[in-house]
Amino acid sequence: MSALKFVLRHTPPSAVDVSGLRPALLAGKSRKEITKLPLTGWNEIHRVGDLFSIRGDDAQRVVVDGADERLLRIGAGMEGGELTVVGTAGDYLGESMRSGTIVVRGDVGTFVGAGMRGGRIDVSGNAGAFAGSGRAGTLQGMAGGAIVVRGNAGDRAGDRMRRGLLLIEGNAGDYCASRMLAGTAVVLGRVGIDAGYLMRRGTLILGRSPAELLPTFNHNGWHDLLAIRLLLESLTVHGKRFQSFARSRPSLSRWLGDLGCDGKGEILIALGRL
Amino acid sequence: MRARAASRGARVPGTIVMKVAGELDGVPVEDTFAEAFGMRATRLVITGETRAWARHAAVAATGFATSVIACGCEAGIERELSVRETPDGRPGISILIFAMSSKDLQKHLERRTGQCVLTCPTTAAFNGVPNEVAHEWLQLGGALRYFGDGWQISKLIGGKRYWRIPVMDGEFVCEEKAGLVKGIGGGNFLILAADGASARSAAERAVAAMRKVRNVILPFPGGVVRSGSKVGSKYKTLIASTNDAYCPTLVGLTRSALPEGAGAVLEIVIDGLDAGSIAKAMDVGIRAACRGGTGAGVVGITAGNYGGKLGPHHFHLKELFA
Repeated sequence: MSALKFVLRHTPPSAVDVSGLRPALLAGKSRKEITKLPLTGWNEIHRVGDLFSIRGDDAQRVVVDGADERLLRIGAGMEGGELTVVGTAGDYLGESMRSGTIVVRGDVGTFVGAGMRGGRIDVSGNAGAFAGSGRAGTLQGMAGGAIVVRGNAGDRAGDRMRRGLLLIEGNAGDYCASRMLAGTAVVLGRVGIDAGYLMRRGTLILGRSPAELLPTFNHNGWHDLLAIRLLLESLTVHGKRFQSFARSRPSLSRWLGDLGCDGKGEILIALGRL
Repeated sequence: MRARAASRGARVPGTIVMKVAGELDGVPVEDTFAEAFGMRATRLVITGETRAWARHAAVAATGFATSVIACGCEAGIERELSVRETPDGRPGISILIFAMSSKDLQKHLERRTGQCVLTCPTTAAFNGVPNEVAHEWLQLGGALRYFGDGWQISKLIGGKRYWRIPVMDGEFVCEEKAGLVKGIGGGNFLILAADGASARSAAERAVAAMRKVRNVILPFPGGVVRSGSKVGSKYKTLIASTNDAYCPTLVGLTRSALPEGAGAVLEIVIDGLDAGSIAKAMDVGIRAACRGGTGAGVVGITAGNYGGKLGPHHFHLKELFA
Protein backbone atom coordinates (compact mmCIF):
# COMPACT_ATOMS: atom_id res chain seq x y z
CA MET A 1 0.00 0.00 0.00
CA SER A 2 1.23 3.45 -0.82
CA ALA A 3 0.49 6.66 1.03
CA LEU A 4 -2.82 8.35 0.23
CA LYS A 5 -1.72 11.45 -1.62
CA PHE A 6 -3.75 14.60 -2.26
CA VAL A 7 -2.19 16.80 -4.92
CA LEU A 8 -3.63 20.29 -5.09
CA ARG A 9 -4.99 20.90 -8.59
CA HIS A 10 -5.22 24.68 -8.28
CA THR A 11 -5.21 27.37 -5.62
CA PRO A 12 -8.68 27.53 -4.10
CA PRO A 13 -10.56 30.80 -4.56
CA SER A 14 -10.62 31.40 -0.83
CA ALA A 15 -9.65 29.72 2.43
CA VAL A 16 -10.79 26.12 2.78
CA ASP A 17 -11.01 24.01 5.91
CA VAL A 18 -9.27 20.75 4.99
CA SER A 19 -9.35 19.14 8.43
CA GLY A 20 -11.39 16.35 6.82
CA LEU A 21 -8.24 15.02 5.17
CA ARG A 22 -7.00 13.30 8.28
CA PRO A 23 -6.33 9.57 8.59
CA ALA A 24 -9.18 8.67 10.95
CA LEU A 25 -11.81 10.22 8.67
CA LEU A 26 -10.36 8.71 5.51
CA ALA A 27 -9.86 5.18 6.83
CA GLY A 28 -12.09 2.58 5.22
CA LYS A 29 -13.28 4.89 2.45
CA SER A 30 -12.87 4.17 -1.24
CA ARG A 31 -11.21 6.70 -3.46
CA LYS A 32 -14.58 7.47 -4.98
CA GLU A 33 -16.07 8.20 -1.59
CA ILE A 34 -13.11 10.37 -0.66
CA THR A 35 -13.49 12.34 -3.87
CA LYS A 36 -17.00 13.33 -2.84
CA LEU A 37 -16.15 14.38 0.71
CA PRO A 38 -17.12 17.99 1.44
CA LEU A 39 -14.58 20.63 2.39
CA THR A 40 -15.96 23.84 3.85
CA GLY A 41 -14.76 26.99 2.17
CA TRP A 42 -15.67 30.65 2.45
CA ASN A 43 -19.42 30.61 1.75
CA GLU A 44 -19.10 27.54 -0.42
CA ILE A 45 -18.61 23.80 -0.13
CA HIS A 46 -15.90 22.18 -2.21
CA ARG A 47 -15.61 18.50 -2.98
CA VAL A 48 -12.24 16.91 -2.37
CA GLY A 49 -12.11 15.85 -5.96
CA ASP A 50 -12.61 19.47 -7.10
CA LEU A 51 -9.48 20.62 -5.36
CA PHE A 52 -7.25 17.58 -5.30
CA SER A 53 -6.22 14.72 -7.47
CA ILE A 54 -5.88 11.58 -5.39
CA ARG A 55 -3.31 8.79 -5.52
CA GLY A 56 -2.44 5.88 -3.25
CA ASP A 57 -4.61 4.04 -0.77
CA ASP A 58 -3.05 3.92 2.71
CA ALA A 59 -5.19 6.24 4.81
CA GLN A 60 -2.81 5.96 7.76
CA ARG A 61 -0.19 7.80 5.71
CA VAL A 62 -1.66 10.90 4.14
CA VAL A 63 0.26 13.37 1.99
CA VAL A 64 -0.99 16.80 1.00
CA ASP A 65 1.18 17.88 -1.89
CA GLY A 66 1.45 21.40 -3.21
CA ALA A 67 -0.20 22.85 -0.14
CA ASP A 68 -1.23 26.47 -0.21
CA GLU A 69 -1.66 28.95 2.62
CA ARG A 70 -5.40 28.95 1.85
CA LEU A 71 -5.62 25.39 3.12
CA LEU A 72 -6.60 25.88 6.75
CA ARG A 73 -6.70 23.41 9.65
CA ILE A 74 -4.67 20.72 7.94
CA GLY A 75 -4.58 17.76 10.32
CA ALA A 76 -6.78 19.51 12.87
CA GLY A 77 -8.20 17.04 15.37
CA MET A 78 -5.84 14.28 14.23
CA GLU A 79 -6.05 11.16 16.38
CA GLY A 80 -3.28 9.06 14.89
CA GLY A 81 -1.49 8.23 11.69
CA GLU A 82 0.95 10.26 9.66
CA LEU A 83 0.30 13.39 7.66
CA THR A 84 2.91 14.95 5.43
CA VAL A 85 2.41 18.41 3.98
CA VAL A 86 4.51 19.59 1.09
CA GLY A 87 4.31 23.31 0.45
CA THR A 88 3.05 26.18 2.53
CA ALA A 89 0.34 25.25 4.99
CA GLY A 90 -2.29 27.67 6.17
CA ASP A 91 -3.33 28.64 9.67
CA TYR A 92 -4.34 26.27 12.46
CA LEU A 93 -2.35 23.28 11.19
CA GLY A 94 -2.73 20.45 13.73
CA GLU A 95 -5.19 22.40 15.83
CA SER A 96 -6.49 20.27 18.73
CA MET A 97 -4.70 17.17 17.47
CA ARG A 98 -4.41 14.35 20.01
CA SER A 99 -1.90 11.96 18.52
CA GLY A 100 -0.09 11.10 15.34
CA THR A 101 2.56 12.96 13.40
CA ILE A 102 2.40 15.90 11.04
CA VAL A 103 5.49 16.72 9.01
CA VAL A 104 5.50 19.97 7.05
CA ARG A 105 8.06 20.45 4.31
CA GLY A 106 7.64 24.16 4.08
CA ASP A 107 6.19 26.98 6.16
CA VAL A 108 3.01 27.10 8.21
CA GLY A 109 0.67 29.93 9.05
CA THR A 110 -0.47 31.18 12.41
CA PHE A 111 -1.75 29.12 15.33
CA VAL A 112 0.11 25.93 14.40
CA GLY A 113 -0.77 23.26 16.96
CA ALA A 114 -3.22 25.54 18.73
CA GLY A 115 -4.78 23.66 21.60
CA MET A 116 -3.12 20.39 20.66
CA ARG A 117 -3.06 17.70 23.33
CA GLY A 118 -0.72 15.11 21.90
CA GLY A 119 1.21 14.00 18.86
CA ARG A 120 4.03 15.73 17.06
CA ILE A 121 4.28 18.50 14.49
CA ASP A 122 7.57 19.05 12.70
CA VAL A 123 7.84 22.12 10.49
CA SER A 124 10.91 22.38 8.28
CA GLY A 125 10.35 26.07 7.56
CA ASN A 126 8.95 28.98 9.50
CA ALA A 127 5.80 29.24 11.61
CA GLY A 128 3.52 32.24 11.95
CA ALA A 129 2.38 33.89 15.15
CA PHE A 130 0.83 32.07 18.09
CA ALA A 131 2.56 28.72 17.49
CA GLY A 132 1.48 26.30 20.22
CA SER A 133 -1.00 28.72 21.68
CA GLY A 134 -4.77 28.44 21.85
CA ARG A 135 -7.50 29.82 19.66
CA ALA A 136 -8.46 33.39 20.46
CA GLY A 137 -10.71 33.36 23.47
CA THR A 138 -9.58 30.01 24.83
CA LEU A 139 -7.93 29.96 28.23
CA GLN A 140 -5.22 27.44 27.43
CA GLY A 141 -2.78 26.86 24.62
CA MET A 142 -1.29 23.53 23.67
CA ALA A 143 -1.64 20.97 26.47
CA GLY A 144 0.54 18.13 25.26
CA GLY A 145 2.64 16.79 22.42
CA ALA A 146 5.50 18.50 20.68
CA ILE A 147 5.87 21.18 18.03
CA VAL A 148 9.25 21.50 16.37
CA VAL A 149 9.89 24.50 14.13
CA ARG A 150 13.17 24.25 12.24
CA GLY A 151 13.00 27.85 11.07
CA ASN A 152 11.72 30.92 12.85
CA ALA A 153 8.46 31.42 14.73
CA GLY A 154 6.35 34.55 14.88
CA ASP A 155 5.17 36.58 17.83
CA ARG A 156 3.42 35.10 20.85
CA ALA A 157 4.83 31.60 20.38
CA GLY A 158 3.65 29.45 23.27
CA ASP A 159 0.99 31.94 24.39
CA ARG A 160 -1.04 30.41 27.26
CA MET A 161 0.79 27.12 26.74
CA ARG A 162 -0.35 24.57 29.33
CA ARG A 163 1.82 21.50 28.75
CA GLY A 164 4.02 19.92 26.10
CA LEU A 165 7.07 20.97 24.14
CA LEU A 166 7.48 23.90 21.77
CA LEU A 167 10.89 23.75 20.13
CA ILE A 168 12.13 26.47 17.82
CA GLU A 169 15.49 26.09 16.15
CA GLY A 170 15.57 29.60 14.77
CA ASN A 171 14.37 32.88 16.22
CA ALA A 172 11.06 33.67 17.90
CA GLY A 173 9.16 36.92 17.78
CA ASP A 174 7.98 39.22 20.52
CA TYR A 175 6.23 38.05 23.68
CA CYS A 176 7.49 34.48 23.39
CA ALA A 177 5.86 32.25 26.05
CA SER A 178 3.51 35.04 27.04
CA ARG A 179 0.91 34.05 29.62
CA MET A 180 2.50 30.60 29.74
CA LEU A 181 0.78 28.32 32.24
CA ALA A 182 3.22 25.40 32.18
CA GLY A 183 5.18 23.25 29.78
CA THR A 184 8.49 23.81 28.07
CA ALA A 185 9.48 26.12 25.24
CA VAL A 186 12.96 26.21 23.77
CA VAL A 187 14.27 28.83 21.35
CA LEU A 188 17.79 28.22 20.13
CA GLY A 189 17.97 31.54 18.30
CA ARG A 190 17.00 35.00 19.45
CA VAL A 191 13.70 36.13 20.89
CA GLY A 192 12.00 39.47 20.47
CA ILE A 193 10.94 41.78 23.25
CA ASP A 194 9.30 40.82 26.52
CA ALA A 195 9.79 37.06 26.52
CA GLY A 196 7.79 35.41 29.29
CA TYR A 197 5.32 38.29 29.60
CA LEU A 198 2.80 37.31 32.31
CA MET A 199 4.27 33.82 32.46
CA ARG A 200 2.82 31.96 35.46
CA ARG A 201 4.74 28.68 35.46
CA GLY A 202 6.68 26.64 32.93
CA THR A 203 10.14 26.74 31.45
CA LEU A 204 11.51 28.87 28.64
CA ILE A 205 15.02 27.97 27.53
CA LEU A 206 16.85 30.44 25.32
CA GLY A 207 19.91 29.48 23.35
CA ARG A 208 20.93 33.09 22.97
CA SER A 209 20.69 35.96 25.35
CA PRO A 210 17.87 38.43 24.61
CA ALA A 211 18.65 42.12 24.45
CA GLU A 212 16.77 42.62 27.67
CA LEU A 213 14.34 40.85 29.94
CA LEU A 214 11.21 42.17 31.56
CA PRO A 215 11.92 43.94 34.85
CA THR A 216 9.45 41.57 36.47
CA PHE A 217 11.91 38.69 36.23
CA ASN A 218 14.47 38.26 39.01
CA HIS A 219 17.85 36.73 38.51
CA ASN A 220 18.09 33.44 40.38
CA GLY A 221 21.72 32.58 39.65
CA TRP A 222 23.64 30.07 37.61
CA HIS A 223 22.50 26.57 38.36
CA ASP A 224 23.30 23.17 36.96
CA LEU A 225 19.95 21.57 37.72
CA LEU A 226 19.39 17.86 37.30
CA ALA A 227 15.84 18.33 36.04
CA ILE A 228 17.09 20.64 33.29
CA ARG A 229 19.81 18.16 32.40
CA LEU A 230 17.12 15.48 32.04
CA LEU A 231 14.97 17.86 30.04
CA LEU A 232 17.78 18.79 27.65
CA GLU A 233 18.70 15.15 27.21
CA SER A 234 15.10 14.37 26.30
CA LEU A 235 15.32 16.95 23.49
CA THR A 236 18.07 15.08 21.69
CA VAL A 237 15.48 13.01 19.82
CA HIS A 238 14.25 16.18 18.11
CA GLY A 239 17.19 16.73 15.83
CA LYS A 240 20.87 17.51 15.62
CA ARG A 241 20.65 21.12 16.74
CA PHE A 242 18.87 20.21 19.95
CA GLN A 243 21.23 17.31 20.35
CA SER A 244 24.32 19.47 20.11
CA PHE A 245 22.73 22.09 22.37
CA ALA A 246 21.99 19.47 25.03
CA ARG A 247 25.31 17.70 24.74
CA SER A 248 27.21 20.98 25.10
CA ARG A 249 25.92 21.03 28.70
CA PRO A 250 25.29 24.80 28.47
CA SER A 251 25.76 26.88 31.55
CA LEU A 252 22.35 28.39 32.17
CA SER A 253 21.46 31.66 33.82
CA ARG A 254 18.11 31.26 35.59
CA TRP A 255 15.53 34.01 35.84
CA LEU A 256 12.26 33.67 37.73
CA GLY A 257 9.00 35.40 36.97
CA ASP A 258 6.82 36.88 35.76
CA LEU A 259 6.41 38.47 39.16
CA GLY A 260 3.60 40.49 37.65
CA CYS A 261 1.46 37.35 38.12
CA ASP A 262 2.23 34.00 39.72
CA GLY A 263 5.97 34.30 39.26
CA LYS A 264 6.78 30.60 39.23
CA GLY A 265 8.01 30.47 35.67
CA GLU A 266 11.66 30.16 34.77
CA ILE A 267 13.69 31.49 31.87
CA LEU A 268 17.00 29.72 31.40
CA ILE A 269 19.48 31.54 29.21
CA ALA A 270 22.51 29.88 27.72
CA LEU A 271 25.56 32.04 27.10
CA GLY A 272 23.70 34.67 29.10
CA ARG A 273 25.16 38.09 29.44
CA LEU A 274 22.32 39.50 31.50
CA MET B 1 24.98 -39.11 76.36
CA ARG B 2 21.30 -38.97 75.52
CA ALA B 3 20.98 -42.73 76.11
CA ARG B 4 22.54 -42.26 79.52
CA ALA B 5 20.13 -39.47 80.44
CA ALA B 6 17.23 -41.61 79.29
CA SER B 7 18.34 -44.44 81.47
CA ARG B 8 18.05 -42.08 84.43
CA GLY B 9 14.44 -41.39 83.50
CA ALA B 10 14.85 -37.86 82.04
CA ARG B 11 12.35 -36.66 79.37
CA VAL B 12 13.90 -37.24 75.95
CA PRO B 13 12.53 -34.87 73.29
CA GLY B 14 13.88 -36.92 70.39
CA THR B 15 15.12 -35.64 67.05
CA ILE B 16 13.73 -34.91 63.59
CA VAL B 17 15.37 -37.16 61.05
CA MET B 18 16.47 -35.47 57.86
CA LYS B 19 15.16 -37.04 54.66
CA VAL B 20 17.87 -36.40 52.10
CA ALA B 21 17.00 -35.33 48.56
CA GLY B 22 20.57 -35.48 47.33
CA GLU B 23 24.08 -34.29 47.96
CA LEU B 24 26.02 -31.27 46.71
CA ASP B 25 29.78 -31.67 47.08
CA GLY B 26 28.99 -34.37 49.60
CA VAL B 27 26.72 -32.12 51.66
CA PRO B 28 23.28 -33.66 52.24
CA VAL B 29 20.36 -31.51 51.14
CA GLU B 30 17.07 -32.21 52.84
CA ASP B 31 14.03 -33.14 50.78
CA THR B 32 11.92 -30.22 51.91
CA PHE B 33 10.85 -26.84 50.65
CA ALA B 34 11.05 -23.16 51.44
CA GLU B 35 7.62 -21.70 51.92
CA ALA B 36 7.12 -18.15 50.67
CA PHE B 37 4.18 -15.79 50.52
CA GLY B 38 2.89 -13.01 48.34
CA MET B 39 4.02 -9.45 49.01
CA ARG B 40 3.76 -6.10 47.30
CA ALA B 41 7.04 -4.74 46.00
CA THR B 42 8.61 -1.81 44.23
CA ARG B 43 12.01 -0.88 42.87
CA LEU B 44 13.53 2.53 43.39
CA VAL B 45 16.55 3.80 41.50
CA ILE B 46 18.57 6.23 43.58
CA THR B 47 21.22 8.29 41.85
CA GLY B 48 23.77 10.79 43.10
CA GLU B 49 26.58 12.98 41.82
CA THR B 50 28.92 10.29 43.14
CA ARG B 51 28.31 6.64 43.88
CA ALA B 52 29.13 7.32 47.49
CA TRP B 53 26.19 9.73 47.93
CA ALA B 54 23.82 7.38 46.11
CA ARG B 55 24.97 4.59 48.38
CA HIS B 56 24.51 6.69 51.52
CA ALA B 57 20.89 7.26 50.56
CA ALA B 58 20.30 3.64 49.54
CA VAL B 59 21.79 2.28 52.75
CA ALA B 60 19.70 4.64 54.84
CA ALA B 61 16.52 3.93 52.86
CA THR B 62 16.91 0.19 53.31
CA GLY B 63 17.88 0.35 56.96
CA PHE B 64 15.76 -1.29 59.68
CA ALA B 65 13.83 -3.24 57.08
CA THR B 66 14.75 -6.85 57.77
CA SER B 67 11.32 -8.30 58.47
CA VAL B 68 7.75 -7.11 58.13
CA ILE B 69 7.12 -8.63 61.55
CA ALA B 70 8.48 -5.56 63.31
CA CYS B 71 9.84 -3.24 60.63
CA GLY B 72 6.69 -2.93 58.56
CA CYS B 73 8.56 -3.62 55.34
CA GLU B 74 11.56 -5.49 54.02
CA ALA B 75 14.08 -3.66 51.91
CA GLY B 76 17.54 -4.09 50.53
CA ILE B 77 19.98 -3.03 47.87
CA GLU B 78 19.44 -5.00 44.69
CA ARG B 79 22.55 -3.89 42.82
CA GLU B 80 24.70 -0.99 41.74
CA LEU B 81 23.89 0.67 38.44
CA SER B 82 26.39 2.09 36.00
CA VAL B 83 25.96 5.58 34.58
CA ARG B 84 24.59 4.00 31.40
CA GLU B 85 21.80 2.29 33.32
CA THR B 86 20.36 5.26 35.20
CA PRO B 87 17.82 7.76 33.87
CA ASP B 88 20.05 10.75 34.58
CA GLY B 89 23.40 9.28 33.59
CA ARG B 90 24.77 9.38 37.13
CA PRO B 91 25.93 6.52 39.34
CA GLY B 92 23.00 4.75 40.91
CA ILE B 93 21.79 2.08 43.26
CA SER B 94 18.58 0.13 42.85
CA ILE B 95 16.72 -0.90 45.95
CA LEU B 96 13.71 -3.14 46.42
CA ILE B 97 11.06 -2.57 49.08
CA PHE B 98 8.50 -5.24 50.06
CA ALA B 99 5.41 -4.91 52.23
CA MET B 100 2.34 -6.99 52.97
CA SER B 101 -0.15 -4.65 51.28
CA SER B 102 -0.23 -1.84 48.73
CA LYS B 103 -1.18 0.56 51.50
CA ASP B 104 1.79 -0.46 53.65
CA LEU B 105 4.12 -0.23 50.69
CA GLN B 106 2.89 3.26 49.87
CA LYS B 107 3.47 4.34 53.45
CA HIS B 108 6.99 2.95 53.68
CA LEU B 109 8.02 4.10 50.22
CA GLU B 110 6.97 7.62 51.08
CA ARG B 111 8.61 7.61 54.50
CA ARG B 112 11.87 6.05 53.43
CA THR B 113 12.26 8.18 50.31
CA GLY B 114 11.27 11.29 52.23
CA GLN B 115 13.57 10.72 55.15
CA CYS B 116 16.53 9.00 53.52
CA VAL B 117 16.74 10.10 49.87
CA LEU B 118 15.21 13.56 49.88
CA THR B 119 17.53 14.38 52.75
CA CYS B 120 20.72 13.11 51.12
CA PRO B 121 22.83 15.62 49.15
CA THR B 122 22.69 15.45 45.33
CA THR B 123 20.44 12.40 45.15
CA ALA B 124 17.41 11.83 42.94
CA ALA B 125 14.81 9.06 43.01
CA PHE B 126 13.37 7.29 39.99
CA ASN B 127 10.86 4.53 39.46
CA GLY B 128 12.66 1.29 38.65
CA VAL B 129 9.66 -0.79 37.60
CA PRO B 130 9.00 -0.93 33.85
CA ASN B 131 5.50 0.14 32.79
CA GLU B 132 4.70 -3.24 31.30
CA VAL B 133 5.18 -5.09 34.58
CA ALA B 134 3.71 -2.52 36.98
CA HIS B 135 0.56 -3.92 38.54
CA GLU B 136 -0.48 -0.57 39.96
CA TRP B 137 1.16 2.74 40.77
CA LEU B 138 2.40 4.22 44.02
CA GLN B 139 2.81 7.91 44.65
CA LEU B 140 6.47 8.82 44.95
CA GLY B 141 7.17 12.45 44.06
CA GLY B 142 3.42 12.88 43.98
CA ALA B 143 3.43 12.36 47.75
CA LEU B 144 6.74 14.06 48.57
CA ARG B 145 6.13 17.21 46.58
CA TYR B 146 4.32 18.93 49.42
CA PHE B 147 7.66 19.35 51.16
CA GLY B 148 8.22 22.07 48.57
CA ASP B 149 5.63 24.21 50.35
CA GLY B 150 4.19 25.48 47.11
CA TRP B 151 7.55 26.08 45.40
CA GLN B 152 7.69 22.59 43.92
CA ILE B 153 7.65 22.37 40.14
CA SER B 154 6.16 19.59 38.07
CA LYS B 155 7.91 18.75 34.82
CA LEU B 156 6.84 16.30 32.15
CA ILE B 157 10.01 14.94 30.56
CA GLY B 158 9.96 12.22 27.95
CA GLY B 159 6.42 11.22 28.90
CA LYS B 160 7.20 10.90 32.62
CA ARG B 161 6.22 13.39 35.25
CA TYR B 162 8.90 14.53 37.66
CA TRP B 163 8.73 16.76 40.70
CA ARG B 164 11.40 19.32 41.40
CA ILE B 165 11.42 20.12 45.09
CA PRO B 166 13.61 23.01 46.21
CA VAL B 167 16.13 21.94 48.84
CA MET B 168 19.19 23.61 50.28
CA ASP B 169 21.65 22.18 47.74
CA GLY B 170 19.43 22.92 44.76
CA GLU B 171 16.55 20.68 43.79
CA PHE B 172 15.48 17.18 44.71
CA VAL B 173 14.23 15.52 41.53
CA CYS B 174 11.82 12.69 41.97
CA GLU B 175 9.65 10.73 39.57
CA GLU B 176 5.97 11.18 40.33
CA LYS B 177 5.05 7.51 40.54
CA ALA B 178 6.68 4.17 41.26
CA GLY B 179 5.38 0.90 39.94
CA LEU B 180 4.07 -1.80 42.22
CA VAL B 181 4.54 -5.46 41.41
CA LYS B 182 3.28 -8.58 43.10
CA GLY B 183 6.44 -9.92 44.67
CA ILE B 184 7.28 -12.86 46.88
CA GLY B 185 8.78 -12.81 50.35
CA GLY B 186 10.21 -15.53 52.51
CA GLY B 187 12.29 -17.64 50.16
CA ASN B 188 14.94 -19.21 52.39
CA PHE B 189 17.42 -21.93 53.13
CA LEU B 190 19.36 -22.95 56.21
CA ILE B 191 23.02 -23.79 56.34
CA LEU B 192 23.73 -26.43 58.96
CA ALA B 193 27.42 -26.30 59.89
CA ALA B 194 29.80 -27.86 62.31
CA ASP B 195 30.52 -24.59 64.05
CA GLY B 196 29.87 -20.86 63.86
CA ALA B 197 32.95 -20.08 61.77
CA SER B 198 32.05 -22.69 59.15
CA ALA B 199 28.45 -21.48 59.05
CA ARG B 200 29.48 -17.86 58.59
CA SER B 201 32.01 -18.73 55.93
CA ALA B 202 29.46 -20.76 53.96
CA ALA B 203 26.83 -18.03 54.36
CA GLU B 204 29.24 -15.38 53.11
CA ARG B 205 30.00 -17.48 50.04
CA ALA B 206 26.30 -17.91 49.42
CA VAL B 207 25.50 -14.21 49.84
CA ALA B 208 28.32 -13.18 47.49
CA ALA B 209 26.89 -15.46 44.81
CA MET B 210 23.27 -14.44 45.41
CA ARG B 211 24.02 -10.72 45.22
CA LYS B 212 24.66 -11.22 41.50
CA VAL B 213 21.09 -12.35 40.91
CA ARG B 214 18.72 -9.59 39.82
CA ASN B 215 15.21 -8.96 41.16
CA VAL B 216 16.04 -10.24 44.65
CA ILE B 217 17.22 -8.84 47.95
CA LEU B 218 18.55 -10.47 51.09
CA PRO B 219 17.01 -8.15 53.68
CA PHE B 220 18.88 -9.29 56.80
CA PRO B 221 22.24 -7.94 58.04
CA GLY B 222 24.92 -9.09 55.65
CA GLY B 223 22.17 -11.10 53.99
CA VAL B 224 22.18 -13.60 56.84
CA VAL B 225 19.82 -14.43 59.73
CA ARG B 226 20.89 -16.20 62.88
CA SER B 227 17.53 -15.86 64.60
CA GLY B 228 15.42 -18.10 62.46
CA SER B 229 11.87 -18.09 63.75
CA LYS B 230 8.88 -20.32 64.02
CA VAL B 231 5.28 -19.18 63.99
CA GLY B 232 3.84 -18.48 67.45
CA SER B 233 5.21 -18.48 70.95
CA LYS B 234 4.38 -19.57 74.44
CA TYR B 235 3.86 -15.84 75.05
CA LYS B 236 0.51 -14.78 73.66
CA THR B 237 1.68 -11.38 72.44
CA LEU B 238 4.36 -12.80 70.16
CA ILE B 239 3.49 -13.97 66.67
CA ALA B 240 6.93 -15.48 66.11
CA SER B 241 9.64 -16.87 68.32
CA THR B 242 12.99 -18.65 68.10
CA ASN B 243 13.17 -21.70 65.90
CA ASP B 244 14.14 -24.02 68.76
CA ALA B 245 14.47 -27.06 66.52
CA TYR B 246 17.61 -25.50 64.99
CA CYS B 247 19.14 -23.95 68.12
CA PRO B 248 22.25 -25.94 69.06
CA THR B 249 22.01 -24.78 72.68
CA LEU B 250 18.59 -26.41 72.99
CA VAL B 251 19.61 -29.88 71.84
CA GLY B 252 18.42 -32.23 74.52
CA LEU B 253 15.71 -29.85 75.67
CA THR B 254 13.59 -29.60 72.57
CA ARG B 255 12.79 -31.77 69.57
CA SER B 256 15.89 -30.93 67.57
CA ALA B 257 16.20 -30.95 63.80
CA LEU B 258 19.98 -30.73 63.92
CA PRO B 259 21.80 -33.65 62.42
CA GLU B 260 24.75 -35.23 64.14
CA GLY B 261 27.76 -32.91 64.07
CA ALA B 262 25.81 -29.65 63.54
CA GLY B 263 26.90 -26.91 65.94
CA ALA B 264 25.59 -23.73 64.25
CA VAL B 265 22.89 -22.79 61.78
CA LEU B 266 22.50 -19.67 59.67
CA GLU B 267 19.56 -18.84 57.46
CA ILE B 268 19.41 -16.79 54.28
CA VAL B 269 16.08 -15.15 53.49
CA ILE B 270 15.27 -14.02 49.97
CA ASP B 271 12.58 -11.62 48.79
CA GLY B 272 12.09 -11.37 45.07
CA LEU B 273 10.00 -9.77 42.38
CA ASP B 274 9.18 -13.17 40.90
CA ALA B 275 9.45 -16.87 41.74
CA GLY B 276 12.03 -17.60 39.07
CA SER B 277 14.48 -15.08 40.49
CA ILE B 278 14.08 -16.46 44.02
CA ALA B 279 14.61 -20.02 42.76
CA LYS B 280 17.71 -18.90 40.89
CA ALA B 281 19.08 -17.10 43.95
CA MET B 282 18.47 -20.16 46.12
CA ASP B 283 20.15 -22.38 43.58
CA VAL B 284 23.35 -20.33 43.31
CA GLY B 285 23.37 -19.65 47.05
CA ILE B 286 23.07 -23.26 48.11
CA ARG B 287 25.68 -24.39 45.60
CA ALA B 288 28.08 -21.69 46.83
CA ALA B 289 27.43 -22.62 50.47
CA CYS B 290 28.18 -26.28 49.76
CA ARG B 291 31.40 -25.51 47.93
CA GLY B 292 34.18 -27.27 49.79
CA GLY B 293 31.78 -29.94 50.99
CA THR B 294 31.76 -31.34 54.48
CA GLY B 295 35.46 -30.58 54.68
CA ALA B 296 34.46 -26.89 54.87
CA GLY B 297 32.32 -27.66 57.87
CA VAL B 298 28.92 -27.67 56.15
CA VAL B 299 26.97 -30.69 57.33
CA GLY B 300 23.59 -30.08 55.70
CA ILE B 301 21.19 -27.78 53.87
CA THR B 302 17.54 -27.46 54.64
CA ALA B 303 14.76 -24.89 54.29
CA GLY B 304 12.05 -23.43 56.44
CA ASN B 305 8.37 -24.06 55.90
CA TYR B 306 5.17 -24.21 57.84
CA GLY B 307 3.74 -27.34 56.33
CA GLY B 308 2.45 -25.42 53.34
CA LYS B 309 -0.09 -23.50 55.39
CA LEU B 310 1.53 -20.06 55.29
CA GLY B 311 2.22 -19.28 51.69
CA PRO B 312 1.42 -20.50 48.21
CA HIS B 313 4.97 -20.37 46.89
CA HIS B 314 6.99 -23.52 47.57
CA PHE B 315 10.63 -23.79 46.54
CA HIS B 316 11.59 -27.46 46.75
CA LEU B 317 15.25 -28.19 47.38
CA LYS B 318 15.07 -31.35 45.28
CA GLU B 319 14.80 -29.01 42.27
CA LEU B 320 18.53 -28.48 42.76
CA PHE B 321 19.02 -31.98 41.42
CA ALA B 322 16.48 -31.76 38.61
